[in-house]
Amino acid sequence: MCASCGFPAAPGHWTEAGAANAAERLRARFRRAQVLQTVLPAYGLTAYDGALVPGIQISTLSGNQVIARDLAEVWAAAERFTGGPVDPLDPRFIGGEDEGR
Amino acid sequence: MTGNHDGRMRLTVLGGSLGSGKTTWLRHQLHAGHFRDAYVIVNEAAATPVDDALLTRSANLAVLAGGCACCEGKADLIALLRKICDARSRTESRGDRLERIVLETSGLADPGPIVEAIRTDPVLVHHIVVTEIVVAVDALHALMQLRSEPLGRRQIEIADRMVITKVDEAEGATLSRLVATLKSVNPGAMISGTIKGSGVDLPSSDDAEPEILPDLSGETDRPPIFPTRLLIDDTIDWSAFTVWLSALLHARGDDVVRVKGVVRTSAGRLLLQSVRKIVQSPEILPDQNNDAGREDDTIIVIGRGYRADDLRRSLRYFAGVGRA
Repeated sequence: MCASCGFPAAPGHWTEAGAANAAERLRARFRRAQVLQTVLPAYGLTAYDGALVPGIQISTLSGNQVIARDLAEVWAAAERFTGGPVDPLDPRFIGGEDEGR
Repeated sequence: MTGNHDGRMRLTVLGGSLGSGKTTWLRHQLHAGHFRDAYVIVNEAAATPVDDALLTRSANLAVLAGGCACCEGKADLIALLRKICDARSRTESRGDRLERIVLETSGLADPGPIVEAIRTDPVLVHHIVVTEIVVAVDALHALMQLRSEPLGRRQIEIADRMVITKVDEAEGATLSRLVATLKSVNPGAMISGTIKGSGVDLPSSDDAEPEILPDLSGETDRPPIFPTRLLIDDTIDWSAFTVWLSALLHARGDDVVRVKGVVRTSAGRLLLQSVRKIVQSPEILPDQNNDAGREDDTIIVIGRGYRADDLRRSLRYFAGVGRA
């Protein structure tokens, strides 16, 4: 564990279980970031995971920023920034490709 | 389970309401040689412990009396577990090290917060992995408790394995009805029957109707809970799926009561289970075809307050990101 930043976080957040080796873990991180980068802008947030530093950076349009260790922290941070949870059942995600985006 | 948990100790949580036969079951397990190498922790809500006198067969035994470990006794439990971890870290890893802990909760405990406390503790999470929640279910009184006690129902909901005790004291029809009801409340868990701790066969519950349980959440105007089957095929990758599911549980953890299923990933077949907002560490299942009728690549979401079709469309949207 890095003494300065406390990373890596607790072993095995459940969302990280699907990769068998380091290469797959890296690919999974990029894919995770890709999905987040599509979902979060609808809430005025951006996500960045360069894979060089641990965690996922979540930023607001006004520059507020936090590093989330795992997806649970991503959603908690998003709720804190925007005042409400990111709901996957929001009409913009289920209303078809051309609605709400 | 013999899997390698990166050197962490395995913790079995044993729950169940007061007098449901937890200690009797555990005593028989110890007698039969299971858990013999385990450190047994008995938590009792009352200040004067009794159960430890019954569990003399275990090699290591600690009693936490005077406080239920899911609420007021939580700090004591965490402190004790840290002490155990500390002692284990001082022994050589090649020698005989403690590999298993069994925690018998008090009858008043909700296992959920205990598991959550261990998972979120910065020290314990590196040393302990919760592998199983066993809940003792009283063959005579469980139906009544399910009808009226929210705690009793929470214990059943979170179980990985339900042990129906005192099977000989209930009639066949009552028992079948209980089994059917337990299956409807918690379809993912294994169910077995015991008499004084030793295993017996349960009657078939195929013909029995599960009891329709009243809503205990105090919000009677809420829609009923229903199951939704989601197919996790090749077009849905694990990363997108976890982004979706973690968001769903964060936003709607109070509505999505339970998620369970087996998903194929490059790391193997993962058994995924959640109770409310708590997702257990996915267990990697042996790579063989359908065991015990388990369907691969299917996730069951049990909940309310949404439409089944919306779940599917939303998941498709998340999984379709970046794909032409």
